[in-house]
Amino acid sequence: MARNLLSIRHLSPDQIEELLVLGREFKQWVIEGKEIARLNRVVGQLFFENSTRTRVSFEQAAHYLGLKSVNFSTTGSSLKKGETLKDTILTLRYERLNGLVMRHPSSGAPALAARYFAGPVLNAGDGRHEHPTQALADALTIRERKGSLEGLTVAIVGDVEHSRVARSNAWLMAKMGANVRFVGPRTLMPAHSGLLPGDVFYDLESGIKDADVIIALRLQRERMTDGLIGSIGEYARQYQINRDKLRYAAPDALLLHPGPINRGIELDDAAADGEQSVITAQVENGIFVRMAALYWCFHEPEPPKPAPKSRAKKVKA
Amino acid sequence: MRTLLKNGRILDPSQDLDVIGHVMIEDDQIAAMGPDIPSDDVDDIYDCTGLWICPGLVDPHVHLREPGREDEETIVSGTQAAAAGGFTTICCMPNTSPPLDNPSLVDFILDRAASPEAGGVFVAPVGALTVGMRGEQIADLAAMKRAGIVAASDEEFPIQSSFIMQKAMETCVQVDLPIMAHCEDLSLSNGGAMNEGAMSAVLGVKGIPRSAEEIMVMRNCLLSLHTGCQLHVMRVSTWGAIEMIRQAKYLGAPVTCEVSPQHFVFTEEHVGEFDTHFKMLPPLRTQVDIDIMLQALQEGTIDVISSDHSPHASHKTQAPFEDAPFGQVGLESIVGVTLTHLTHRGILTPLETIRKLSTKPAQILRLDAGTLKPGETPIAQITVIDPGFEWTFDVNKTFSRSRNSPFHGMMLKGRSVLTFSGSEIYRDRHFSDDRITMVT
Repeated sequence: MARNLLSIRHLSPDQIEELLVLGREFKQWVIEGKEIARLNRVVGQLFFENSTRTRVSFEQAAHYLGLKSVNFSTTGSSLKKGETLKDTILTLRYERLNGLVMRHPSSGAPALAARYFAGPVLNAGDGRHEHPTQALADALTIRERKGSLEGLTVAIVGDVEHSRVARSNAWLMAKMGANVRFVGPRTLMPAHSGLLPGDVFYDLESGIKDADVIIALRLQRERMTDGLIGSIGEYARQYQINRDKLRYAAPDALLLHPGPINRGIELDDAAADGEQSVITAQVENGIFVRMAALYWCFHEPEPPKPAPKSRAKKVKA
Repeated sequence: MRTLLKNGRILDPSQDLDVIGHVMIEDDQIAAMGPDIPSDDVDDIYDCTGLWICPGLVDPHVHLREPGREDEETIVSGTQAAAAGGFTTICCMPNTSPPLDNPSLVDFILDRAASPEAGGVFVAPVGALTVGMRGEQIADLAAMKRAGIVAASDEEFPIQSSFIMQKAMETCVQVDLPIMAHCEDLSLSNGGAMNEGAMSAVLGVKGIPRSAEEIMVMRNCLLSLHTGCQLHVMRVSTWGAIEMIRQAKYLGAPVTCEVSPQHFVFTEEHVGEFDTHFKMLPPLRTQVDIDIMLQALQEGTIDVISSDHSPHASHKTQAPFEDAPFGQVGLESIVGVTLTHLTHRGILTPLETIRKLSTKPAQILRLDAGTLKPGETPIAQITVIDPGFEWTFDVNKTFSRSRNSPFHGMMLKGRSVLTFSGSEIYRDRHFSDDRITMVT
């Protein structure tokens, strides 16, 4: 039996805990150079959208687990020839791939893929919807330093509306007992955030006040031409996390960023490279939580089987 | 040849009539109707005890897809679906490929609709308002009207320029055609795929704000008021749009509007986990919108219930939500859904239900339909409905070539069982043979 990792929203706190513990164990084993039982399966890496870090991270994770990766990207694939996503997925299924890691520009696309693929599908980022393994990497990074997520105040700062990282992190942190805050300008905030697990702040100072964790989001430059923000400078002056603004947060606050960083826009160098920054740790932990995710997806606990029928019945009189 | 529909509940909104009685069809025409009519020399008798006898239903908003997407629907399959759904007259939309923007295509559609394989229902084409539905140059409306169009519309490509829309309205006053308008400010909807609301925020799907619809409803109502052009607003979905239309009517603008069942049955929450069968245009909204819509249906601000029958191939709906097309098939579920959700719940009386499904759309588009009065329509158009029939809608058992229905699997109460256009064009298997007496 296989299971998917499509979103954090659908995971229970126990499942998140399981994944984070697995991630911690894999990290220990890799660092200690321990032998890890090889999974001996083939995983397709389907990237319908550019990605360097997530892709490298998943490939590294697969490598440590002894999984073979098959790469599939939009350039050179049949998608350019007009094939539907469903047909692509069916083709890969009958190419006997055992699992899929999938990134897609359209929200919900991995859920669709999971319907037609017989094996685990892992969401490596879908549209603005979710990026579950990024949230797991962030949670592991925070837990290594804070022990637990329970009771922490986590401020997610920037372009929340367009961010799958924001959504996955909000669900994960809230499910694990943290208080989530969304911080950003109105034009980059969902118009109706009532079902998202967090409070909305439109100014940075109050949004990060006494926060234990700040997750800064990347600002896409297109937002300016889209009419959603004035100038980059205007945005940076109001929402950049820098050495001055960090003082509003708790003294031991952690600073995270999913990368790639626009230095000078959402972070200044002092913040990005400062003592509170755990950005490089996030990248490294990304590998271990992705190992955990792959392993977890391939090892769903068997559902309890019905007790075997008593032998006496089968024996003919 | 005389056929008698006996002992049914006659619902004829054109005469405000709700009585138990009979309808006599003689040589394709309604010869007599009422509680007490002579019934001698009858050839066939249909016993309609416990059933409604209504003027044939009229759907002003149907997509037949032909020419261009015959894999999704054809004029033949679409008219068969219409007959099975209780319709005797339907209007087909111009967003075909190529678009219906010239008289020869109008001829083609009328030809196909009249072919013996077709469902036997009248097809009244709606022509494109601008050439290629590009919103730039007004189409040859007078020539298309001579060929047989009953209204003009740019359908899912609404005219964005207020100037062009104003000129289009003036032209339509000139040639005496109503405009059917899908109202959407494309700069606001801007590639959105569902209602901009709490659900779109969770799913990370780009939202379509309600203002995208309301701004265009308001603009078009104002242009209608100032030009005097008859405007029929298609697909109303928000309480704000309803309020605009209420105001326009109050101001005396010649404005009418329609809703489709999906918009008074479902909300944005039905999108669930990216279910493309709930991707509608305009998008499914919220319970508040439904509540106001039900009120507006009751008091008459909403004139018409249409199916907005929009067949789509399964490969298009089995796609990521944002890439999937908008719309649903509806001809064969609309009677059941409307009776279940409006009539049986006391929101509409049976007579008002039939008014919105037949008489009113016929009046708005000036069609020879929507009445049981003898001599009013060239041929008899009659639909018999079993209001109490309980069934489960199965989209796989429909005449339409497409399967994209949000109503699939829904328990419904009420179904059309007999459709007459001159003679019987559809008889449901649930209309028992015991009810029929053939004298000949």
